[in-house]
Amino acid sequence: MSALPIKNKIRELRFFAEEMTQQELAELVGVTRQTIMAIEKSKYSPTLEVAFKIAEVFGQSIDEVFQYESS
Amino acid sequence: MDMSFREKSIWISLISTLLIFGGYFLNILSLGGVSAEVSQSATLGLFLRALVLIIIVEIVFQGMLAISNRKEADLGADERDKLFEYKANSLGYVILVIGVFVTLGRVVFLELNPEFFEQSNTFNIPLLTAHILLFSFIFSEVVRFSAQLYYYRSGH
Repeated sequence: MSALPIKNKIRELRFFAEEMTQQELAELVGVTRQTIMAIEKSKYSPTLEVAFKIAEVFGQSIDEVFQYESS
Repeated sequence: MDMSFREKSIWISLISTLLIFGGYFLNILSLGGVSAEVSQSATLGLFLRALVLIIIVEIVFQGMLAISNRKEADLGADERDKLFEYKANSLGYVILVIGVFVTLGRVVFLELNPEFFEQSNTFNIPLLTAHILLFSFIFSEVVRFSAQLYYYRSGH
């Protein structure tokens, strides 16, 4: 199945957050590591609540973390 | 393969349902040549055995899984788990409703046309109406588990 139109910079932001692991981010957000992995690969679009939580972890606004790419 | 706790748990449910109830339905089919009295009491025994077996297998294997993945088990279902469960439940529900309507149709048809009763059970399956319903339920469960696993793999 093709990737979803919502892209993100989570991998990059994790790198700049002292190489935060997916597990650490998952625990901070309250989801499983596999869900973070799916979001990172644009295989799953998170709810607004989780998207806000992820942005909050990195101290960014939501549109700095997630971008909508219309085809 | 990188699987979450929930995905592993669904695999356990799918495999145990397929093996235990697959075996049950095969045994029921093999009762076709036996007299009605014998086959009905055998059916009850087979059903109780399958029921007890699935409860034991689920408790033991799901318990072992939860112990070996305590952190994830305590976390519960996250939003992605819930979404996949919801989508899969809708599919399973459709299968179950079809099964219920097929059963209802059969009951009503035989009520109105009792002369077809003998011909309606070619394989001589004991308690056929109950078994059509049971099969619909088990099949809907298999579809539900399979759909969830598909969503976990495809990601959507």
